[in-house]
Order: sequence, then C-alpha cells, then structure tokens
Amino acid sequence: MKIKEICEKLNAEVQVAGDPEREVTQAVAGDLLSFIMGTAAEGSAWVTIQAHLNVAAVAVLKDMPLIILASGRKAPRDLEERCTAENICVACVAESIFRTCSRLSELGIEG
Amino acid sequence: MAAPVCLEYRIEGNNFMTAGTASNNIKNTLKMLGIQSEVCRRAAVIAYEAEINLVIHANGGILKAVISEDRLEITAKDEGPGIPDIEQAMTEGYTTASNQAREMGFGAGMGLPNIKRNSDLFEIESTPGEGTMLKSTVFFNK
Repeated sequence: MKIKEICEKLNAEVQVAGDPEREVTQAVAGDLLSFIMGTAAEGSAWVTIQAHLNVAAVAVLKDMPLIILASGRKAPRDLEERCTAENICVACVAESIFRTCSRLSELGIEG
Repeated sequence: MAAPVCLEYRIEGNNFMTAGTASNNIKNTLKMLGIQSEVCRRAAVIAYEAEINLVIHANGGILKAVISEDRLEITAKDEGPGIPDIEQAMTEGYTTASNQAREMGFGAGMGLPNIKRNSDLFEIESTPGEGTMLKSTVFFNK
C-alpha cells in the first residue's frame, strides 16, 4: 500500500510528507532503537512513541520510509528537518501503538 | 588491487543527537562503491551499534572503516571505562546504559549481540580503566 493511503486510512496527521507514492508492505513496532536496528526489515514502516532526532538515524540506516508516531507524539523540529532532508514520511496518530498496529494489520500490512 | 578506502571518524561522547551520522556516511560510501546491498545492510547495523556504544558508554572514541577488495573492517576504539565482563556484556538484554539513554530507546542490551550477528569475524578486547577495542569484519563474497 502507498504511504499516502496508509496515512489516510490511519487518519494520521502528516508532519513530513516524504515519498507519498512509495509502497510499504511491512511494518515493525518498538521503542528500543537497537531492537529495531536488529530486527526491522528494510523498507518497513516503523511504529513508535520515540520522537527524537536519533529515530531518523535508525530509519535512514534501515531504509524505512515511514515513521508513525503513536499516542499523540509529535516530531520535534530537528527530527522533522532531518526526515524532510532524508525523504522520510512522519505521520502522527492519536491512537496507541497497539491500536495502530491492529489497523495496519487490517490494511494488509505484514509484521 | 585498488588501494583500500579508509574512513575515520572522531565520535563525540554523550551527544545522542548526532549519533548515527558516521554510520550513515559509511553505509553511503559502501553503496557508492557498488558493494552488494546485503553487505551494506549488515555494515549499517555494525557501524551504528559501534558508534552508539562510543557515544553512550565510552565518552567518545574513534570509529574506523577500511574497505578493501574483499572485505570491510570496522573498528571502534575508545579510552572509556572498559568492560569488566565481556561475556556478560555480550548477553542480549544486559545493559549498563544510563536512565537518560534508556528513556530515549538506547541501551536495549542488543548492541554487541547485533554487531556479532552481522559480522563474519568479531573481536573485542577491553581493559577496565583503559578502554575497549572492537573489530568487526564482513567479507564481500559470502
């Protein structure tokens, strides 16, 4: 599914558009950076409540085009700027990580 | 044989925000050199974890990547507090990271295991009070 469709279906507030046409088929969830580093498949969407600059470093290294910030978290300006520079979409949702993953699963995104 | 490409970075201690810049640079250089993507993926994990370790545990140090014809060697050298029990440090889930680092999602206790898992050769030497030397090798034709 395209990133822009995922954002629409999740009713997400898109903080950084990234590459809206890019297809994403997998997602990973977690707040421990090394866990994501060690386990995420490249090209995945990443659902997390961590909202600081180093999140972008992990997303860049794992080639993750979509960061979904759950539970009402928002990206601070430095994270927003880095994601803009790296063409990574940042989407913010009010719902929890659990609820967001459940919605992604309904949309056919694999975990 | 072409001369090896050497990249060297001085990593600042406790600067959580810029951490990852050197690893990204290493990954991009490998990509630019046309190294296969599987190696780039593994190198990114190794370099990032080694870089983060220098930031959160060692008060900084030197991260080095040497790319030669058949392999990539990443070394991280520091003059930090050292690791008293390497076996324990290699145990998944064990961490000595500060609360501040852990709140930011660092210190999962997976750094060294992630490095080892992605390396073809892995060496670590540490002397408490003197520092740590980590060396990871990835071969290109495996």
